[in-house]
Amino acid sequence: MIRDFKRLAILVAALLLFPATALAESPKETLQRSVDQVILLLQDPAYKDAATKPAMREKLIKTIQGIFNAKELSRRALATNWDKFSPAQQERFSNSFMTLLQNTYLDRIEGYTDEKVNYLAEKMLAADRAEIPTIVTSKGRNIPITYRMLNADGWYVYDVIIEGVSLVQNYRNQFTQILMKESPDTLIDMISKKS
Amino acid sequence: MNRHPLHLAALVILLLPIFALATGCNGKKSQAARDFAPKTEAAAQAEPTAAPADPAEPGDAQAEDGETLSEPVNDPLYGWNRFWFTFNDYFYTGIRPVVQGYRYVVPEFARTGMKNVYDNFTFPVRFLNALLQLNLTKAAREFGRFMINSTFGVGGFFDLAKSDPNLQPGNEDFGQTLGYYGMGEGFYIVWPLLGPSSARDSVGLAGDIAANPLTWIFGLWDYKGQDQTWYLSYAISAGNRFNRLPEYLDDYESMKKSALEPYVSMRDFYIQYRRGRIAQ
Repeated sequence: MIRDFKRLAILVAALLLFPATALAESPKETLQRSVDQVILLLQDPAYKDAATKPAMREKLIKTIQGIFNAKELSRRALATNWDKFSPAQQERFSNSFMTLLQNTYLDRIEGYTDEKVNYLAEKMLAADRAEIPTIVTSKGRNIPITYRMLNADGWYVYDVIIEGVSLVQNYRNQFTQILMKESPDTLIDMISKKS
Repeated sequence: MNRHPLHLAALVILLLPIFALATGCNGKKSQAARDFAPKTEAAAQAEPTAAPADPAEPGDAQAEDGETLSEPVNDPLYGWNRFWFTFNDYFYTGIRPVVQGYRYVVPEFARTGMKNVYDNFTFPVRFLNALLQLNLTKAAREFGRFMINSTFGVGGFFDLAKSDPNLQPGNEDFGQTLGYYGMGEGFYIVWPLLGPSSARDSVGLAGDIAANPLTWIFGLWDYKGQDQTWYLSYAISAGNRFNRLPEYLDDYESMKKSALEPYVSMRDFYIQYRRGRIAQ
């Protein structure tokens, strides 16, 4: 707790003293800002209240939207099928898939409302790609959640790996299977119905 | 009474490599060769999530690997698997009310406590596998956990060791040990009631059963009509499984809720998860 405070104080000081560093935020900092906000919202008593819950959920979605890179996520989830989609289909796919993915991600972390997130050292996969492993401690269990991030005018998440299982890869396998028999439009409809 | 489980375990251990060979040769040759290729390469290609990122590697190639080289899971038993997947789905959905009742009646600390006792009791399986994987740190950790929890944790009911970051619970098994020595999954298989597995992990399961103290104490079947309590092995294991069902069904439901193709999603979850475990 105190260490987090110290870290925050140092961060704030750094931001105030060196405005330049604020522009070139590290992927870890970007992620931390969003994830901490998500957890704060999940822990908010207003979230437990049935009346205010939809509004809180909307806030949550907004926060997640801010950090997820919809296009990159969609392109990766479709893999080679991405090129078979027309630009309009790509757009519609992106939108519906994002909703589905956000809900999946939220459902998965919603159970850990008492969670504490421990951010481990980021690994640079390339100049514009990074991997940030985190350990979520909830009810005495340690759940490793790794975020993959891409630098496109700021850092954005393009994959979430929960307990070694990549969400994007999991969807990619399903989409590949479906697209063997169905048209892109049918797939988009199926996703919209799910989310 | 004490002699026969020993024979049995020896038999199972002897059968292991034979079964392993059989599963290796059953599939198409090229497939088998690919699947049983050294783990490091196959895992790194097919499973970028599990492989620690190599900073020296060109990032783009690494990132693209996940898309282009994501190796499809070998699923030659698709018909059988699909059937048992559906069967299990009906079964677990059917007993959900019972499981919810159990969750309601038995408080969480009691369920966790029972799980802890079982896990503590089956410590030799994890300890042995850590040793077989030449991982002394993990073996020492398992041993330390067993000593602390068996004594101060009242026979394992309380997982006191967990409060020490160096004594976190592990879950090594024979499937992972086989993976450590380079054996691929072989193929995906869904067992009735037990759920998703692979050829390798099924072989591993036989090893886990052989190393399980329950097997040594109670045996697995009636032996020469002696008066034994062999069924306790099954009853206790099944009891432990039932005890974990509330949590398992939660995970299963959330998987189903998020999936468009639950069968494919489940298969991928299983394979990715196991590859990740082996890479650790």
